[in-house]
Amino acid sequence: MNLNTLYLAVAGLVLGPLLGGLAAGVDRVVTARLQSRLGPPLLQPFYDVGKLWSKVIAPASHWQGMFVRWALVASLASDVILAAGGDILMCFFVQAASASFVALGAFCGNSPYGKLGAQRELFQLLAYEPVFMVAILCLAKAAGGFDAFSIMAAQGQPLLFKLPLIVPGLLFAVLVKLRKSPFDIAASHHMHQEVVRGVYTDYAGRDFALLEVAHWADVTVVLWICSFLWATGPLQMLITGLAFLFAALLIDNISARLTWRTMLKTVAPLTLILATANLVWLYLE
Amino acid sequence: MIDAYIGLLVLWPVAAGLASLGLRGQAARSALVLGTAAVLAAAAVGLATQAPFTASPAFLASATALHVAQGASFLFPAYFLFVGLKEKHALVIGFALLQLGLAAFGEFGLPAPAVVKTAVVCDGLSLALVLVVSLVGTLISVFALPYMRHHEEHQGFKTSRQPQFFMILLAFLGFMNGLALTNDLHVFSAFYEATTLCSFLLIGHDRTDEAKKSGLRALWMNSMGGVFLHAGILLIQKQHGLADIQALVDPALWAGLSLLPLALLGLAACVKAAQLPFQAWLLGAMVAPTPVSALLHSSTMVKVGVFLCLRLAPVLEGTTTGRLLTLAGAFTFLGASALALGQSNAKKILAYSTAANLGLIIACAGIGTPVAIAAGVVLMVVHAATKGLLFLCVGDMEQAIGSRDLEDLRGMIAKTPVTALAAAAGSMAMILPPLGMLAGKWATLEAANASPMSMVMMAVGSALAVVCWVRFTGTLMSGVAVAATPAPTSSLSTGPILTLLAGTVGLGMAAPWLNAMLLPAWQAFMLPDGWALLPPLFLTAMLAWILGMKVLGRQSAAKLATPYLGGLPSAAPGSFVGALGRNWTLSEGNEYATELFGEAKLTRIAGVLASVLLLALVGGALL
Repeated sequence: MNLNTLYLAVAGLVLGPLLGGLAAGVDRVVTARLQSRLGPPLLQPFYDVGKLWSKVIAPASHWQGMFVRWALVASLASDVILAAGGDILMCFFVQAASASFVALGAFCGNSPYGKLGAQRELFQLLAYEPVFMVAILCLAKAAGGFDAFSIMAAQGQPLLFKLPLIVPGLLFAVLVKLRKSPFDIAASHHMHQEVVRGVYTDYAGRDFALLEVAHWADVTVVLWICSFLWATGPLQMLITGLAFLFAALLIDNISARLTWRTMLKTVAPLTLILATANLVWLYLE
Repeated sequence: MIDAYIGLLVLWPVAAGLASLGLRGQAARSALVLGTAAVLAAAAVGLATQAPFTASPAFLASATALHVAQGASFLFPAYFLFVGLKEKHALVIGFALLQLGLAAFGEFGLPAPAVVKTAVVCDGLSLALVLVVSLVGTLISVFALPYMRHHEEHQGFKTSRQPQFFMILLAFLGFMNGLALTNDLHVFSAFYEATTLCSFLLIGHDRTDEAKKSGLRALWMNSMGGVFLHAGILLIQKQHGLADIQALVDPALWAGLSLLPLALLGLAACVKAAQLPFQAWLLGAMVAPTPVSALLHSSTMVKVGVFLCLRLAPVLEGTTTGRLLTLAGAFTFLGASALALGQSNAKKILAYSTAANLGLIIACAGIGTPVAIAAGVVLMVVHAATKGLLFLCVGDMEQAIGSRDLEDLRGMIAKTPVTALAAAAGSMAMILPPLGMLAGKWATLEAANASPMSMVMMAVGSALAVVCWVRFTGTLMSGVAVAATPAPTSSLSTGPILTLLAGTVGLGMAAPWLNAMLLPAWQAFMLPDGWALLPPLFLTAMLAWILGMKVLGRQSAAKLATPYLGGLPSAAPGSFVGALGRNWTLSEGNEYATELFGEAKLTRIAGVLASVLLLALVGGALL
């Protein structure tokens, strides 16, 4: 490991969650404008986390604090792996570990809403993980390597032209990871719904603040991987990531929540078949 | 010295087993089993210091030994035939007769193969299996001591049948060590049949109707595997006049020739490794006492199959047979993971997960590149420790509460904290980075570069496994409103559980070094940075561990919040006052999504598809 890798890793550690927080701020503003509201300031998510951090609330289980820390470390680690040019498949596995810890913390709690949310979180995982993984396999195959640098260094034609069929799958993963309708199934980001706050119900105070930071780090990783589709330069990557973000926000605002059964039986197989077709096509080329 | 180690590894357990027949006292039996565990562990470690090596100890190399092996190829099927006739089981009779016919043809219809020069070749792969058998297998035998005493009290046998039980259990370990070390195909096949016999006797140990049925099912399926094995060996003898395993796994030998014999051996391996559509015998095996299922699933029986495939792997690289074997393995990984997800029976979850993980290893063998073989060996070792741990934990919890249903195991962390936490850690070790199972899966996925369909199947199977194990852990750790009283435990059962737990985590962390130790020439260097990504991840994981433990220490003293119920908590725990002043009682359950993962339908579909793949495996080699 050389010094350059170390700098990049530290940059990923710091910038990953910050960019995710900014994306959350953009989300709040854009959603408000779409609904003809003014909306909060761009930095509102950071103020929210600051407020949560100042609260000390009794935990719902002795194990929750531990799982929250583990989730946070895993999410940040996935940012670092990507920033340091590591293996994107391992980055994906580390991020899946973070999602598992969030669900486990909810299982340990005592609220039925939290446990219901945890079950749904797992079915979400089951729905988006395969297609996201196949999309990663496609990216690696098209770029000729699993490490993030060789994908970002893929010169000439953007990968999008070789991989059009993984776009629905990636968008699906973005919608799930950002907890957006119609796949906001486990956490009910929009409040006062039948599972209250789902998998997040039992988390409060500092634990919840850290979980929010972990979520930001996750958002950065997912959007970053999407941006590999047009990785001809940093600006192009930023634009691609933002394009996925805006698409997700738009879909969130014009669609109602689906059930987990529809997600698992229709959306997941459909996107998976498309991505698989793309993978096979890369091999036939 | 090497000969002495080999003798201890193969003969001592068999002798100790015979000795246990004469011991009726619990204390003497405990001493014998603990002594055997110590001897095997010491001999295995001694062997590890010498590997790789070749040797010809007299008891495996002499003409008498070869005659015994030849005799065994008639004796075992003859005994199976006897069992089949006694139980009037047509399939057992049929396969036993076929085996006898093949043995007779090999003896009288074919010229004898060239003499095998060295009787024992111990390389990284053999050593891996010997270590698994001698360390994990003996720990399970120790666990069996208190377990079988409780078990017999529970079953109400008039005379104790523990002497026979431990005889077979210990002898099984010796046969497995022999199978791992021998370099002669005929001796290998004799040990293979011996493991079939042991598993039949162990599964049927309780002599209930269900046990008998499951035992016979294991017998006919594995003798079918024996038929494939014999047929493959005879074809090799006919084509090459060889019985030397090391000489056989030279790709140059097979250049331009049909791989049909190897496809048949692969098929035999798939039966032993309980691959779809042969998974039924392994599922039936869970009616046996827990130590038996732990032994069959983790360190013995099923490992024969993956060991055989990994042994053949260098020849399979880049061949159609190899590609089809990869597809079949990946398909079992997918299908069995889906079947595991739909189960609430904890032992069935473990059984399907075993089949799935073995599928992954067989897929590695089919790929056959050095990276893939390294990944397969790492998976084989780590899986043995992890699955052994999980079986012992589930067995222990089952004895504590009298049920093996996941719904009844909800919140076990309050009743048997040590075992439940060990089970939680074991199930996390199945899926979490940077531990061995995930590292192996990661390496396999990247090594499967030549087979896109198997990569997709592995991706889906991997997601299914994650969901299955997180739910398993979550259910065990589930918070419950009603406080429970801890159940009593024995140090002979918690000892092996904690040792296996340490082994699971230690081996899981040690995957790169395991690879370097066992297969120095075949490291996973072809991955980006090789295993180099793992050590920083270990450091990160340790940091997370320390952070988590600090918070756990702080929070475990905290007063817990009242459950959020969307209503007013009422005086009785687990109930609340909801809308319109109605009183609601809480109940919990997991969603098993049986409309998607239901056993009956899924088994049929997966069975048909897997049969097609295996037929293609044989047919493809035939053409």
